Amino acid sequence: MSIYDFTVKTNKGVEKSLADYKGKVLLIVNTASKCGFTPQFKDLQELYTKYKERGFEILGFPCNQFAEQEPGTNEEVQSFCKVNYGVTFQIFAKGDVRGETAQPLFKYLTEQKGFQGFDEKHPITKALTEALQNNFPEYLEGDGIKWNFTKFLIDRNGNVVARFEPTTVPADIAKDIEKLL
Amino acid sequence: MVKVYSFEGCPWCDKVKKYLKSKNVEYETRDIELDDTARDECEKISGDTSVPVTTIDGKNYVLGFDKAKLDELIAM
Repeated sequence: MSIYDFTVKTNKGVEKSLADYKGKVLLIVNTASKCGFTPQFKDLQELYTKYKERGFEILGFPCNQFAEQEPGTNEEVQSFCKVNYGVTFQIFAKGDVRGETAQPLFKYLTEQKGFQGFDEKHPITKALTEALQNNFPEYLEGDGIKWNFTKFLIDRNGNVVARFEPTTVPADIAKDIEKLL
Repeated sequence: MVKVYSFEGCPWCDKVKKYLKSKNVEYETRDIELDDTARDECEKISGDTSVPVTTIDGKNYVLGFDKAKLDELIAM
């Protein structure tokens, strides 16, 4: 079983085999709600623009499982949502990423790389942890996806080499991507 | 008629709609994800595709879920 055995649907409804991405370095992200934490969209786009010529792709999987729960009242959380993320990397069809209804791809990814905790230094960590404790204490248990913008880094051979929580900003992943390119 | 430009799965859009309902204000939902015409209208009004955008006359509008501004808009 490898990442290349999975078939997913694009946001246009077209079936796409992940085997099409063989030989590329991939960052698979649950992009979610189009609200809150949206700065990461911009940052991801910057990573994509910087590295795509060297064989890097970002695969975004929108999911509404976390949509209703905005973490705290962080200044970055605005009271509106954007339908067009303004990104040019591949966005796939909406689907679940955690629990029994999770897409098989995300079950596989979370089996390969478990939860190692949030980055304590990130300003949103405290609010996010509190929001989860209050609303979804069960989300904090186990290896499932905790929140929007969990990122999995895949090497050119399809190995899941790292998992970054929502509290790791895309810019901090750049060095890890460069190592694989 | 109040129009709320929004899309499915946008929690702030739902909050605006709930709020309008609580004030007994009738509104029309304009889905900018499914309906390109609605999307163009929204861009014309606010210059962007961020939603919710609430408007009555297509000129004055409220971006986001802002109770005070929504109250002002409804009162106009």
